[in-house]
Amino acid sequence: MTASVTQTAHQVSAQALAWLHAQRECGVLPADTTADLGDPDSVYKPLGETALAASLVLRESAAGSVELSQAHELMEFCWRQFGEGDMLYERLLRYSMMTDPLETYAPFARCGFRHEPLERLLAHTSALRSVRAVEVVPNRRLAVANAARVVGLDQGGHAYDWPTLARATWLGATPEPWLVDWMTGYCVTHTVFHLTDWGANPTGLPDDLTEYVTTWLPVWIDIWAEIEQWDLVAELMIVGCCLKEPYCAPADWERLARAQHPDGLVPRDGDPVPDDPAQRFNDHQHTAVVAAIAGTLAVSRTLGGAADPR
Amino acid sequence: MLAEHVERADDPKAALAAIRVVGADAFAPYLLAEAVFHPDDAAAVSQSFAVFPPAVSTPDPPPSGPAEPWIVAWRDWATAALLARLTGTQGDGTLAPRPEGAPTDHTDWQRWSVRMSQLSPLALPALDGPVHAAARAAPLALARGATRAVLRRDFPTATRIVRWLALLHAEGVRLPLDPVPLVEHLRLHGGGPRLALDAAIARRLLGLEAP
Repeated sequence: MTASVTQTAHQVSAQALAWLHAQRECGVLPADTTADLGDPDSVYKPLGETALAASLVLRESAAGSVELSQAHELMEFCWRQFGEGDMLYERLLRYSMMTDPLETYAPFARCGFRHEPLERLLAHTSALRSVRAVEVVPNRRLAVANAARVVGLDQGGHAYDWPTLARATWLGATPEPWLVDWMTGYCVTHTVFHLTDWGANPTGLPDDLTEYVTTWLPVWIDIWAEIEQWDLVAELMIVGCCLKEPYCAPADWERLARAQHPDGLVPRDGDPVPDDPAQRFNDHQHTAVVAAIAGTLAVSRTLGGAADPR
Repeated sequence: MLAEHVERADDPKAALAAIRVVGADAFAPYLLAEAVFHPDDAAAVSQSFAVFPPAVSTPDPPPSGPAEPWIVAWRDWATAALLARLTGTQGDGTLAPRPEGAPTDHTDWQRWSVRMSQLSPLALPALDGPVHAAARAAPLALARGATRAVLRRDFPTATRIVRWLALLHAEGVRLPLDPVPLVEHLRLHGGGPRLALDAAIARRLLGLEAP
């Protein structure tokens, strides 16, 4: 961990955030959108991801004034897209079993964008045994638990059983590291994100899992960087920032910086990037979100920040 | 066994070349299984060195010297040292001198572990030296290198690195991963006689096959 990481990580995240900010109109919900959302992954989910990145830039406060201002504007932009919470509220009213209103709301709640009726409904819905028993993969269950924690619902009789949730994941089994595949790589990253609340609480990752991730993370970053899977590589670099002893290798940051385009776009992989702005945004918005978060956390951790022990 | 291999070969010179290629691993049946070493076997190995002599002088270790001849020099030393041991000859390096240097800097574990895979014929229980000390000093780098090679589907390299892990395991060194399922995975997924030999040696070192 050196000053060079701080500088390169800041450059990557600032440019990725600026790109998300400049391109934000590419990701607006169609005018006739209702809470039904025929295709929630097309615009709705990316808007929530942009809000997540912006919320972490604001949480860490390790960026410059330009970036903080852009992050705040992105939060307001996304919040307006969601009808200042009304849309999430209506969606949860209609679909009690769906977890995305809670997960989408969490970054806003973290930054003080609150919606009282939604919070009352979330408190009721998220406590129902029926909702808690919905059949989802274990790392998704952690995503819901962390969103509930951020919103303030992880308490009292409705507190989540974090150790059991952690053990149920692929990572929780401390499996053979040489059999991980691309999809499982994403399961690992998300398990760490949610257990540590995106690096705010590194002790949320149990000690044996911390040791396991510390041991194998360099290998996984190496093999996916070799085949230019930048989206997964950058997620793994976030994982490095979430550890008690953060792993932020200068060479990893220099490599990601080299992959970033001059306009701030971070390609999701090594395939050619199209010229069409809408297509560029569709294909690479997620990786910009990931790069912005990775850089923000790397700057914060290399400056000695984060790790606000709960 | 080795003598028989040469005697029965249609082309004895090719048979001697094969002994040079297999190198120290030609002694694995005597070290890890119950093959009985005969003076004729020793003669066959000596003859292979006479027909295909090693370099007269050992090259400087990389990076000051080129890597390939240095690796070959280490392999030749391993063969010569084991022959000396099995024949009760005093000292080692009778047929080939011991090179200088060992890969001790494992900071760049990717390249380092590949280098150790190239030196894997030294991963036999009767040998010891600076290369073995380098392996003992870096079980994490070896485990990462093996894991990386499996994920890159480079099963031959992975199996060679696993031989070092198996050797360390046999010596009681604590490893960051369980080598047993890894060897089994490589044996079932990898192909070719060289990989089969490396996997068999690793299995013997791990006690998975009775001698």
